[in-house]
Amino acid sequence: MKNKRTYIAALATAFIATACHHVEEWDGGMHGNFDALWTIVDEHYCFFDEKNVDWHSVGQKYRAQINPEGMETTEFFTLCGQMLNELQDGHVNLSSSFNTSYYRRWWSDYPQNFDERLMQQYYLDFDYAQSGPLSYKVLHDSIGYMRVSTMASGIADGALDVSLMSFADAGCPALVIDVRDNGGGMMTTTERLVSRFIDKRILAGYMTHKTGPAHDAFSEPYPFHYDTAEGHVRWLRPVVLLTNRSTFSAANSFVSIMRLLPNVRIVGDTTGGGSGMPYSSEIPCGWAVRMSACPVYDAEMRLTEHGVAPSDGCKIDLDPQKALQGTDTMLDFALGLAADWREWYTRPQ
Amino acid sequence: MRPLFLIQAILLCAGIMKAGAPVDSVPPYRPVTSAYSIGIGSSHLCNTYLTPLHYDGWGAEFRYERMQAMGFDPERWIMQLDGQLKFDNTRNPAHNATLTSLTLRLDWGMMYRFRVPHADGLQLFGGAYTAIEGGGLLLARNGNNPAQAQAAWTVGITAMGVYGHRIGRLPVTWRYQAKMPLTGAFFSPDYGELYYEIYLGNHSGLAHAAWPGNYFRLDNLLTADLHLGNTVLRLGYACDIFSSKTNNIVSRDIAHRFIIGITTEWITLGRSRGIDSHARIISAIY
Repeated sequence: MKNKRTYIAALATAFIATACHHVEEWDGGMHGNFDALWTIVDEHYCFFDEKNVDWHSVGQKYRAQINPEGMETTEFFTLCGQMLNELQDGHVNLSSSFNTSYYRRWWSDYPQNFDERLMQQYYLDFDYAQSGPLSYKVLHDSIGYMRVSTMASGIADGALDVSLMSFADAGCPALVIDVRDNGGGMMTTTERLVSRFIDKRILAGYMTHKTGPAHDAFSEPYPFHYDTAEGHVRWLRPVVLLTNRSTFSAANSFVSIMRLLPNVRIVGDTTGGGSGMPYSSEIPCGWAVRMSACPVYDAEMRLTEHGVAPSDGCKIDLDPQKALQGTDTMLDFALGLAADWREWYTRPQ
Repeated sequence: MRPLFLIQAILLCAGIMKAGAPVDSVPPYRPVTSAYSIGIGSSHLCNTYLTPLHYDGWGAEFRYERMQAMGFDPERWIMQLDGQLKFDNTRNPAHNATLTSLTLRLDWGMMYRFRVPHADGLQLFGGAYTAIEGGGLLLARNGNNPAQAQAAWTVGITAMGVYGHRIGRLPVTWRYQAKMPLTGAFFSPDYGELYYEIYLGNHSGLAHAAWPGNYFRLDNLLTADLHLGNTVLRLGYACDIFSSKTNNIVSRDIAHRFIIGITTEWITLGRSRGIDSHARIISAIY
């Protein structure tokens, strides 16, 4: 009888003990935090193959440099940031209370191609309408100009209605949308913007996600669609999108979707990319880590992690000399292209 | 299939038991035992969709419990309805991030009563229940994955022991109850799936069949009901253990609560019937 009770008690204890599923834990020291960071990235980052990164080798290289006795916290942070920079990804950050690591070479290795003061002073004359990240004005030669500075905040439907209606009322044959230096933000803002430039439901792209920790564990690409903004003002005339290397993330997605519309031309420089939707996590010392986790493809199943190139014949940089004289060569090119389309465009709104 | 089988089994047992039950000349009164209680204590949360770290902190809950002997065999069968609104507020090991949780849960179940021979005041209960649960976890500092929704429908088993005695002149009813789901369905996104993808319309693979290997829950409740005149003061301790694993996402929630509440028993009287002094009163647990 006693044996039977012991057996039942042991069984019950084992049952409850094994019922709580295992979660990997790391110690709070430098090695523990480093291993946590390496493991989180190893299990969630999505572009190892695209970036040709051997993450195991990277881990060994940087782990060998940890010296808990002779290393300050800030030095350890720098080491971890350097390891993350091996991913060459603008969506990868390590954030602490005293610093945030960034990989900047996706834009710092290229000309900036944007001078906000130049644009505001010589083209907008400091006189334009603005609502949140949206600025707009009808420029000379009746070309509409709309600047979207970020996708990080929403754009009001009313602002889009009024701005697009003002271009229609002024008889603008074409519209220049300036997304230079737009570092992205929310995909819902991208969707809201795109919906104003389509007259039917379109295939916007494909999204995948990790299905497990393995580097090649991805779901089947899921096609996602955007609907036209029924009941709101839409712009179906020609559009020139002005881009630079700092057009990134959700703004990069905006360009990748707009690129496939027949009445859209991309002018300027290749965008900065950033087509992996970020995922956030943290390590035991409380530092937050963010990384690309869900690849987003365009409607032709092309990955735009490395950016979207300008349309044929539309690659142009900002001429610094002419900028000193008040000329934005990129904007001038876009305005010229828009004006050329005046004759071409015949389709009613 | 399994939930349906359980319900059929319960009803079959109920029918068999009723055949041997004593027959009252007048229908007995079946008072409703209602308990309102609050609990406060410690919480331990972990959800690897949001963070691999374990969060600890405090939690609070409000419980409503209603029990009543069942009409078809009040001596032997009781029903129990449980509502629980639970809030947890926890911090990570570095104390620089907060993970909060809010959950609403409703259980309904039936239990068979065994009156233990030669053990006056001791009753044992066993039965089954079904529960629905909804809520979510919030880790605000995460960008695209700041929250994790929780939803489940489960069917499980429950066991309860009740012992009534007196401490001095004070009647006290001790009770311990454990509940454990055996099957059902629960919600979980895929390992790295963002809610934005679900918002875009990808709803595949979100519902998962539950069994104790991937969805383990053991809710323990120990109470002492102190019968202070017409009012019953409930003091108790609850320990809820939950752990699930699906799509390589582990979610864990361990809560310890000290409970305080009020319990009442009430009877609904029909105008036409009045009060029948010959009718027995069959309480659910007292």
